[in-house]
Amino acid sequence: MSSLFGNFFANWDRYRKSIEDPGYRDYENMWAMAIDLGSCIGCNACSTACYAENNLATVGEDRFLARQSMGWMRVERYWDEPSLGASDPDSQERGGSFLPMMCQQCNAAPCEPVCPVGATYNNEGGLNAQIYNRCIGSRYCANNCPYRVRYFNFYSYDKDAWPAPLNRQLNPDISVRDKGVMEKCTFCIQRIRAAKDDAAREGRALRDGDVTTACQQTCPTQAIVFGDLQDPESRVRKAWDAHQVRLGTTEQKKTNPALRGYRVFEELNTESCVIYLERVRDTDV
Amino acid sequence: MHSQFRILGLFADFDGAFAAIADIRRFKAPGVKIDNVTLKSPIEHPEIEEVLGERPVHIRGWAFIGATFGLIGSFVFFAGAQANFLAQYRGGKAIITVATNIVLSYEMLILFGVLFTLAGFVVGARLMRKKGALYDTAISVDQIGILIEDLNADTLQTTRALFHSHGVLDILEEEIT
Amino acid sequence: MSDPVHVKDINEDIAWAKINADVLRSMKNPRLGYWIAIAVSIAALSVGVAGEVYQYNVGMGPAGLNTSHMWDLYISSFVFWIGMSHSGTLLSAILHIVHADWRKPIYRFAEAMTTFSLLTAGLFPILHLGRVWNMHWVVPYFSDRGIWPNFTSPLMWDAFAITTYLISSALFLFVGMIPDLAICRDNAASGWRLRLYTFLALGWRGDDRQWRNFRVTYLVIACFLIPLAVSVHSIVAMDFSMSIMPGWHVTTFPPYFVAGALYSGCAAIISLFLLLRYLMKFEEYMTFPILDKVCKLTFVIAMVWSYLNLIEFASVWYGHDIPAKEVLIAKASGPYSPFFWGMIAFGMVLPFSLLSKKIRRSLLLLFVISLLLNTGMWLERWMIVTPTLSLGFHPFAWNTMWPGWVEWGIELGSFGWFGLLFLIFVKVFPSVSMYEVKEMVYHRKHVVFDDVEAEIAKLYPIVDPKARGAAQTPDLGRP
Repeated sequence: MSSLFGNFFANWDRYRKSIEDPGYRDYENMWAMAIDLGSCIGCNACSTACYAENNLATVGEDRFLARQSMGWMRVERYWDEPSLGASDPDSQERGGSFLPMMCQQCNAAPCEPVCPVGATYNNEGGLNAQIYNRCIGSRYCANNCPYRVRYFNFYSYDKDAWPAPLNRQLNPDISVRDKGVMEKCTFCIQRIRAAKDDAAREGRALRDGDVTTACQQTCPTQAIVFGDLQDPESRVRKAWDAHQVRLGTTEQKKTNPALRGYRVFEELNTESCVIYLERVRDTDV
Repeated sequence: MHSQFRILGLFADFDGAFAAIADIRRFKAPGVKIDNVTLKSPIEHPEIEEVLGERPVHIRGWAFIGATFGLIGSFVFFAGAQANFLAQYRGGKAIITVATNIVLSYEMLILFGVLFTLAGFVVGARLMRKKGALYDTAISVDQIGILIEDLNADTLQTTRALFHSHGVLDILEEEIT
Repeated sequence: MSDPVHVKDINEDIAWAKINADVLRSMKNPRLGYWIAIAVSIAALSVGVAGEVYQYNVGMGPAGLNTSHMWDLYISSFVFWIGMSHSGTLLSAILHIVHADWRKPIYRFAEAMTTFSLLTAGLFPILHLGRVWNMHWVVPYFSDRGIWPNFTSPLMWDAFAITTYLISSALFLFVGMIPDLAICRDNAASGWRLRLYTFLALGWRGDDRQWRNFRVTYLVIACFLIPLAVSVHSIVAMDFSMSIMPGWHVTTFPPYFVAGALYSGCAAIISLFLLLRYLMKFEEYMTFPILDKVCKLTFVIAMVWSYLNLIEFASVWYGHDIPAKEVLIAKASGPYSPFFWGMIAFGMVLPFSLLSKKIRRSLLLLFVISLLLNTGMWLERWMIVTPTLSLGFHPFAWNTMWPGWVEWGIELGSFGWFGLLFLIFVKVFPSVSMYEVKEMVYHRKHVVFDDVEAEIAKLYPIVDPKARGAAQTPDLGRP
């Protein structure tokens, strides 16, 4: 009897453990990013590209000030390091720092278990996908997101954001969301799908560099690296390995000052797929 | 063919009614069976068993069956629904979430327990039946009624006399052919 | 105002026929105050309906929500109304089981309050949906596409818990009312009242069989309702405590919410008690001794709630989880601090006034106090939802918000909706339990009767359950 229960709990435990395995079971891909804050100049080009690629609504000044904006990718600015000169009015930018923040595509996403209709889930590419058609707009996911990167369609923007001729510039590969739907960064899933289709048509495996996200494509300083973590030769995998960040760990041991990689709110154990490389400042050098 | 009768006597308080029923128990009215006696009252007398004897109530059984059904049935339903919901990859989470299902099954236990209890009440109390029986609106105010069924002409007579000896206020009779 | 406290709950000499007459009279011929209350309710409800219609067509934007504050008044009002619903269960189920007879004249309207506040509360999770027309997707029904709701979501548990609670408490209200509905049926001359009561009384004739089954049914449903009420508000608390948000992720939330629910429910009972006493002339049934007991009960529950509230603060403070502590400090000193301290003042300090016998006897003052207590509890729920969302893990998203007119309108409308339902109820159904008040009077009036019982038992040992088997005679026709 005891062995029966012992086996049960052992299997259960193994099952739970396997969840935290870096291999992530049978996922086809594990799309991930590495963003070098040392290269980021805070130009907001990524944000603009995202607007264009993903049919994001421009909400207008009033609604933007009411914090109802829809930008999936936002460049956050902080001036919180007085030691670097934040209080010095002449050289404020020295203490400033930028953080391009978008959905971190968590593998243990806090937003997923709370959705009452299962409109958000982890798909086979390790992405935290959002099904617009299924969303009923309870907004619980956004409340439970520690990064605050889920955006809600507070209005119908189709007429406001794209008046008559502008609607021709909408991306046909992705839907225009109506009011009452939650949305967020998808790692340009339409590009991933297209690249996969192309690869399948040509009868080859997906290569690193086949998929570029809009933000990565636009970044003038190439601060963003995007790719598949399952592919040991991919640039993003190399970046993760070089900075000793890997899935399944909640903390990086920063023994070597050259190791700059970290993930935001690792202590929450969200298993996010985006690493940031700390900014190198002139005072550090 | 013998006619059948039923009779309803109205009493001012429980004392008179109880005394009349006690007399029926004492065979003061031969041929009247205590099982055919129904006490109708505006409130429930707490010691009603003392005169009428114990009559079974099966509500608890209904409640138990309903609660068990709700618990097991809903757990199976939820687990089955989750097991069939394979279209989704549940990133890092179990497919059949036992703890969650216990919470939901607990609610269903109570819901079905209550519904079955109510069904048992309707069946057990013989509610929602069209069958008319003697009734007087004074019973819902402050009078106590004793309904005796299945009487023939002789026992009807003795019953009437018995009621009168206990100070009955009003008597209603009905003939059933 | 001359009837003394600590003497008796209601007048012993009151005749059963007078009880019927008084309660039935209360259901007819509304006073002017009643019509004014109806008009106010309808006006408030219209504002809410207008807000909802606007929101349905335009979207959630006018509600004043933003990317950080995805929930606001809708959810806090939902918690508030769910909390209100617990008073009825407390009075009718818990006090029934402990044989607190003073509950009898006042539990009916408290139970109606339960049902109607649940009907109000149930509106909010629906109204706050971005796509309300798809709300049926949370129901687990068989679909050709094999799609089910997500059973792990606390919102799903909410849906189940509230549905169960609404059905169960409505049935409990209905079952407890059946003997009274029979009285109404017997006194209704004709028209819709007769048809309604005849249907609802289910053919109740006051038979001993019916009473016996009734008593057990009532007890069994009461026993089901108590754990249900606790679980419902625990699940509502889990909406917050199952999330990872600092300030919400608190393990003491479930008991804290349950205590808060009983507290605001008790305060609401006092308000409605006084309102009904005035509107329906129920001075003989809703008496000072009963009011006194409700006030004391409210005070006790207020203290339990205060304790759990302080425990929450203390555990956050000494737990030293930085984000959670940040939230607590921001509540007490940030832009929402007036409301936070208002909550403390109304919810924790004001109940001490109930210790004064003078206040417990002064109707108008008590009415104001009970409304203020509920204001405090309303603020408490708001303070749980909104200031917590203002802060969070990510400092960039920190901000504040103020509800938009749509939210305030729907908030107002919810009070109108509840008021309207309640006011209709008190004129259609007896708001004082007639048969149970009769029981109260009976027990006091017929103390002599114990002797008669003893005598009968002596004369007829056959009915003694222990002696039955041996002494049974076939003539009795017992199986």
